[in-house]
Amino acid sequence: MRASMTSVLAFARDLPAGVMARLSIQERIAIIFTVLAIGGAATTVIAIVWLGPPLTDFLGANQPLVRFVVAATAILMLTVPTAFVLIYLELKVIARMNLRVGPNRVGPWGSAMSVIHGLKVLSKEDFAPTGADFTVFTLAPVVTYMASVMTLLVIPFAPGLIGQDLNIGLLYFFAMSGLTVVGLLMAGWSSFNKYSLLGGLRSAAQMISYEVPLTLSVVGVILLAGTMSLNSIVLAQSGSFLDWFVFKQPLAWLIFFIAATAEANRTPLDMTEADSEIVAGFATEYSGMRFGFFFFAEYVNVFIVSALATTLFFGGWTAPFQWPWTYNLNWFQPLSFGFFGWLGILLAGLLLGSYFFGLLARLVGGRTWGLWPSVTMGLLVDLVVMVGLIGLAGFVAFNWVQGLVWFMAKTYFFVIVFVWMRATLPRVRVDQLMSFAWKWLLPASLLNLFVTATAVVLLNR
Amino acid sequence: MSSIPGLGIAKGMALTMRRFFAPKATIQYPEAAPDVAVRFRGRLQLLYDELGNIKCETCFQCAQACPVECIDMGGFDTRGRFHVHWGAAEQYAERREESALRRSGRPVPDPAYTHFDPIDTSAVDAILQKYDFDRKQMLAILESIQAAYGFLPVAALKHLSQVSGAPYALIYGTATYYSHLRFEVPGRTVAVCLCTACLVAGSGRVARALAAELGTEIGRRPAGGRIALEQVPAHIPGAPSPLVTLDGVPQPVGHGGAAAWARALAGRTVA
Repeated sequence: MRASMTSVLAFARDLPAGVMARLSIQERIAIIFTVLAIGGAATTVIAIVWLGPPLTDFLGANQPLVRFVVAATAILMLTVPTAFVLIYLELKVIARMNLRVGPNRVGPWGSAMSVIHGLKVLSKEDFAPTGADFTVFTLAPVVTYMASVMTLLVIPFAPGLIGQDLNIGLLYFFAMSGLTVVGLLMAGWSSFNKYSLLGGLRSAAQMISYEVPLTLSVVGVILLAGTMSLNSIVLAQSGSFLDWFVFKQPLAWLIFFIAATAEANRTPLDMTEADSEIVAGFATEYSGMRFGFFFFAEYVNVFIVSALATTLFFGGWTAPFQWPWTYNLNWFQPLSFGFFGWLGILLAGLLLGSYFFGLLARLVGGRTWGLWPSVTMGLLVDLVVMVGLIGLAGFVAFNWVQGLVWFMAKTYFFVIVFVWMRATLPRVRVDQLMSFAWKWLLPASLLNLFVTATAVVLLNR
Repeated sequence: MSSIPGLGIAKGMALTMRRFFAPKATIQYPEAAPDVAVRFRGRLQLLYDELGNIKCETCFQCAQACPVECIDMGGFDTRGRFHVHWGAAEQYAERREESALRRSGRPVPDPAYTHFDPIDTSAVDAILQKYDFDRKQMLAILESIQAAYGFLPVAALKHLSQVSGAPYALIYGTATYYSHLRFEVPGRTVAVCLCTACLVAGSGRVARALAAELGTEIGRRPAGGRIALEQVPAHIPGAPSPLVTLDGVPQPVGHGGAAAWARALAGRTVA
């Protein structure tokens, strides 16, 4: 603070002499942050004082719009950490399956590895080849990434936790995921490179071929649920895990899973990228964060496909079984301490817990644990314990926390299955890939559709 | 292979899942030392490039670093001129068969392997006396030796290593690093001009005759003391064609008498 104050004073005094050049990097950063903080605070105050009442009126009058914008932003913000988690999972799980240890240097158990990857990609040169169609070249990763992100808008994460409950949710989902192909084609075409173009066309051929059985396999589920709203499809599967559509539509699930593997460009059907054999296809000419967006979109796609599989066939956020015991949270009501009361309890818990766990560390570790290490350790352990306790309370008290936990557990199960498959299965040849889609998956999905439709008609009579 | 479709996939998936829980093969090296014998130093071997040439440059760094001096090596220096070796040749080098031949008094069938000629090393001793046997003055010592002998005789360097205690690798490295230090007896250079005018005047035939007589060809580095044949970089203005130079000075060589001239020159220089 003192350094920044002196810096500001020095800045003001020597302004005409071009003092910025003589300052150290730290001083410049301090100045910039000070200016930004003061400016931001001032802007906020002015905005609240001047624009406050009309703004709240406007927001209140357009609640659906506000909800949509907030949901879209939240989902966009969600995708990056999701991609980080998936990349880390892939690195770690495949490493363990290869009898390696995997990332273990950055962060606890190497968990910051994918963040470092992201920073690395950010710091790379942003390069466009000579002769590239620059506008299309720039827009291609955006289209690919946005296509992936926008599909997430209709996924019901938990009761009430859904971006937009469209009545044509499933149709919207496939329309948006179909946009990915456009992005890949744009990337392949605009790179001004025949290999990129071939890669783009190959991935387009693959994804379009597999979209047909993918979409057809889901029609059986739509027939059974009688709706295309994903939230309603989840509700149609509520009850026990025997109500899941995977048991009513096993063939559809199989087709869906295979086609989704191809749609998300995962091994063994990842002809789009085929990183060990061809030069990454459409992404050949991409570098830096442009490439990063393709990379992220791939992992977001894995998450999306897993989420859709969970939603359509495995009951979404519904619990697989009813709890054999009931819980009554009425005892929660009289414990109403108010906001500051709960804050005080939290702080007291933090202090006492840190003390307790720090003492424990000191006792267990003996003299090797100094004062500050044990205090820090106590704080960390206490934080973990308290977050766990709060999460448990939320799980018990709030329906949506429970739903979210179940949804994420099921989704990440399929994510791990995808990673597991990548560690196991070899890549198929491109002609095998295409003939399998058209000669086996498409007839099978049509058969499934006809059988389901007939059954629905007969049983409803 | 299997009668049930998908059984192979299931088997593969089961295998990777077992591997997931199996103990890992990675050794966290700086924290955990790999379990190898105490005196294990890896396998010593020379690497070859993609053309089959040995990549060792005979720099002696490995031999110098070897704590028990078990590395013995011999070969040609980087310019392909001199046979150099480190350590006692009788132990391993060149290798046992030749060593046995040498001990039995028979000639070694390796024409490239010639022992260095013995020289009068009193000049080296005087120089070392002057520099107080200080190996830090190696460059100055080597320059003085070159000034005394005209080049750096291998015998002088061996003697220098023996007397001053400086490793031969250090001396050899210093001597090969500086381009003004040379191992060869300074030779002479014959150059032929191959400009259009000279070619029309028959310098091509002259060049072939010179190459045949001098036993070399344009661009090849000759062994020590031999005459080098080169190409005149640019025709000297006013000089007659075909132009032949000796150490940069134009020589009166017509296109008929080149062979005789070269024979006379070679006789003068080598003999």
